Amino acid sequence: MVTRRSFIKSGGLALFGIGIGGVPPFMTRAAGAEKIILPYKKKKILVCIFQRGAMDGLMAVTPFTDKYLEAARPDLFLSAAKNAKGASLIDLDGRFGLHPSMKAFEPFFTEKRLAIVHGIGSPNSTRSHFDAQDYMESGTPFSKGTSSGWLNRAAGLLGHDASPFQAVSLTSSLPRSFYGEHPALAISNLSDFSLQTKGNPSAKNMAAKSFEDLYDLTTSDLLKQTGKESFDAIKMLEKINPKGYKPSNNVSYPLSPLGKSLKQIAQLIKSDVGLEVAFAESTGWDTHFNQGSVNGQFARNVEDLSNSMVAFWNDLGALQDDVTVMTMTEFGRTVKQNGTRGTDHGRGSCNFILGNDIMGGMVHGRVDQLAIENLEDGRDLAVTTDFRAVFSEVADRHLNINNDKLLFPDWSGKMIGVMK
Amino acid sequence: MKQYFKLTIAFSLLFVLPTLFGFNNNGSEKKIQFSYKSSGLTERQAAAHLLGRFTFGAKPGEVDEVLKIGLEKWFLKQLEGSLPDENVNERLKSFDALKLTNKEVLEIYPRAVQVLKMAENDGFIQKDKADVADKKEYRKLLEPYYKQKGFKPQQELFRQFASQKILRAVYSNNQLQELLTDFWFNHFNVSLSKNQCAEFVPAYERDVIRPNVTGKFEDLLLATTKSPAMLMYLDNFSSAGTNSSTDLATNDRFKNRITKKMGERLGDSAASELIQKLGKAKKGQGLNENYAREVMELHTLGVDGGYAQQDVTNAAKILTGWTLYPNGEYGQGNNIKKLIESVGEENLAGRGFVHEGDFLFANNRHDNSEKVVLGKTFPAGGGYDEGLQLLKMLAHHPSTARFICKKIASRFVKDNPSDKLVIAMTNIFLHTDGDIKKVLLSMVTSPEFWSKEALRAKTKSPFELAISSVRSMNADVQMPYALYQAIEKMGQKLYYYQAPTGFPDNGQYWINTGSLLNRMNFGLALANNKINGIKINLLELNNNHEPESAEDALVKYSKLIMPERNMDETIKRLKPLLSDPSLVNKIDQAASATPVSKQGEQNTIDGAMMDDASMDEMQSKFKKGRRRQGNQPEMLGTNSMLSQVVGIIIGSPEFQRR
Repeated sequence: MVTRRSFIKSGGLALFGIGIGGVPPFMTRAAGAEKIILPYKKKKILVCIFQRGAMDGLMAVTPFTDKYLEAARPDLFLSAAKNAKGASLIDLDGRFGLHPSMKAFEPFFTEKRLAIVHGIGSPNSTRSHFDAQDYMESGTPFSKGTSSGWLNRAAGLLGHDASPFQAVSLTSSLPRSFYGEHPALAISNLSDFSLQTKGNPSAKNMAAKSFEDLYDLTTSDLLKQTGKESFDAIKMLEKINPKGYKPSNNVSYPLSPLGKSLKQIAQLIKSDVGLEVAFAESTGWDTHFNQGSVNGQFARNVEDLSNSMVAFWNDLGALQDDVTVMTMTEFGRTVKQNGTRGTDHGRGSCNFILGNDIMGGMVHGRVDQLAIENLEDGRDLAVTTDFRAVFSEVADRHLNINNDKLLFPDWSGKMIGVMK
Repeated sequence: MKQYFKLTIAFSLLFVLPTLFGFNNNGSEKKIQFSYKSSGLTERQAAAHLLGRFTFGAKPGEVDEVLKIGLEKWFLKQLEGSLPDENVNERLKSFDALKLTNKEVLEIYPRAVQVLKMAENDGFIQKDKADVADKKEYRKLLEPYYKQKGFKPQQELFRQFASQKILRAVYSNNQLQELLTDFWFNHFNVSLSKNQCAEFVPAYERDVIRPNVTGKFEDLLLATTKSPAMLMYLDNFSSAGTNSSTDLATNDRFKNRITKKMGERLGDSAASELIQKLGKAKKGQGLNENYAREVMELHTLGVDGGYAQQDVTNAAKILTGWTLYPNGEYGQGNNIKKLIESVGEENLAGRGFVHEGDFLFANNRHDNSEKVVLGKTFPAGGGYDEGLQLLKMLAHHPSTARFICKKIASRFVKDNPSDKLVIAMTNIFLHTDGDIKKVLLSMVTSPEFWSKEALRAKTKSPFELAISSVRSMNADVQMPYALYQAIEKMGQKLYYYQAPTGFPDNGQYWINTGSLLNRMNFGLALANNKINGIKINLLELNNNHEPESAEDALVKYSKLIMPERNMDETIKRLKPLLSDPSLVNKIDQAASATPVSKQGEQNTIDGAMMDDASMDEMQSKFKKGRRRQGNQPEMLGTNSMLSQVVGIIIGSPEFQRR
């Protein structure tokens, strides 16, 4: 393990060396004047993907032997029985089947690197997207007043000096999960991340110095703190070359927003800028209308999700040991299809965890038979696993954060054994 | 429950408050008085604060204009919103798509997938031949068909729509109307990112939001509920009752009538076949709660407004049958269209249907059962009227009053307004039947509006930053879409916010490391005339006097761009940097070595990516650009220092606040 790590580190250095190119004058000044620790020592990295809109967990990972489900979803239900059209579920364990558009996941499940938790959700039964996302991202399902997000607290609990890139969200604005006191960064496109005064290095130098001074001076704490984070980040990112990035192993990422985000996360990981918590989003899961089955809206979404994650994983190559990827979604969808061939807001859903240190190759959690008496409020897949049980276990085992009191206040449940 | 208690107490003040806020009996405003002096503001500072909150940013000299008119009178004029607007009208003249009705939009700007379907049906192209994923190829293939049919690409409609928002925000004299249009659109958010509603969004802003921004909240709510954009966006168009008369298999009256009518003509077996067919069509229908939930959570009561899942389900049942009148040859309306044809347009009203413009209440899809929402019983068979009653109840609910007033105060005063202010506004809301004008008046006449804590307390959204920059420099916006794209880059894609919540309205959402850098870059690009189609003449701003030095530029231009702010610290801090002559020279040298317009092109086109043909195209643009620049009295090289200073002012933390 140790040998492999040091190999990785020097590999990272080499890459960093290529990327550096001509160092702009402003950088020389900055690097001389301030302490910039580069490269950061390689640490464990958690990548979270939020599927906004509430993924239908019952269609992603279908309990296909359940006759109640089949009856409740005449237009949506898929079976695992092989047929000529290749439109059947991928049978995982004789009870659960993966949607055919997620075939990219199949080998990872077989190799026990992919785990699924089914019936996961929030103890708060709100069916509002906004509230449920808010609760899941703050990590406090019964307290609206929590101003910080759980990933921000996680970054704060890592207990060592932070790089400006310790917590990065590949979004144009900061997600709720990243709100909080700990510095966190939102970047939608790495290659745009510098002051742009083309062909005039002196102007760039002057602008940089002026802005830095002005933001240091302002009476608005928000602007002052964010300003400082911005300048630290600019200085570091000037040293890598985002535009020239070539994924390893001939990987090609989907051209979707999620694919682009994960590609840039891979680049940050390989550049040794000190990334430890990364965040990306996937949208379009609110399938009230014409959800589709083998094909259609939902199928396209899960195809993008699985292909993006698998591309990312293969791109990481030898760095896979350091990384765990976890998906999350605010709630699931109704067991019964609605009148418009879609599903409405429900409760339990499922999530995916990809990594080398997880108990993969199995569907964790509990999904009872979907008879009406077993459903939450008589309509939804019941939440049988608190999302905090899974999030805290992943944070604990992968990032070595074991202070659940701070990470998830008001929670004292048990872990479910999703990690080795 | 606490808030109800507070409200009850506040109710007792109701009889005192109206006189305090200066309304007489017939509802028109008497003289109002702003209380800025008690918080130590000068009249100039007060005027600057007023402009910061009720316009998209002060134009040069606007503080003086407000003083001349008088602060209170200026505000009342803004509230009235009827100042002449020739400049805006002139600039919008060429945007022909903005005047179209929804029906015309569907005819002229059909969705790409629909055009494809039509082209296939017309035999223009072979079925499944076109690869929709290859956009370039697809466009080439279908271009002649577009021409032949008189269709235009939908993107052109959205481009005009986005451009008008920019132009109105920059140039309208009725600034408050624009701010409120933005505010209420965002409150009742619909999104161009949802295909099924996108085509209705331009008319939504024009016909549903804009005319109601200072009216009664109830009217605004009802107009949104019935609008095609909202009906599609939150899926209510498809929501149908489970015991409505479309359930033909069980509706004996309907069945008998059809059997009788059709039986005479076609024979009994054909009649029963038809009934079965219609019964099957019913399978595609059902209850959809999406709108009912969001109307309570986001539009009226607020998430803590005291409703439960059962209220949502029942409200959804009440609103079943609220849908679109079928429009054009395609889309969702086909089933209803057939039904209207069979019933006969002239007989619709007699059968409990309501047809108003684009809206249709389809009685046959309505759930006829008894429902209870928030403790109020809606008896069975309430039809269209029970929906009106429901919306009226929601619009006037104390939770709604509080929720709406808090949102308004957060928008115009500060991110977390005090309970005291919100309660005062809430009382006015409840007392005046949800009169938005009066609520705004109560806010602006409150001491809290003028308090020290409220001054510069709001952080500009990217939209506000961009518009205020352009206004502060009297820029000529020749290509508004370029500004739209710059705003998108700073993290706000106008009209595309996907969730029904609309954009959040707090500084923490807008200010993060990435977006801050983009704001600084925006300032630099704008001041250096590097945003294509946005022309700035910095010298003209200062009566064509060239500043003596970089320091002089900073002093003069920060006053011009940010009137009535204390810039002493800023100037002190930047002085050493700006008085370094070697730096100033270097910047000017580098700038004069590269022609300005070329820099501009480089910003938008990556030279390395282009082939020879596009290189030629760029060269000719380059020349044109030069000619345009040549007409301006700008001395390019020597003024790059000035541009640099102004860019820093726009990107400075102080300019991010209002």
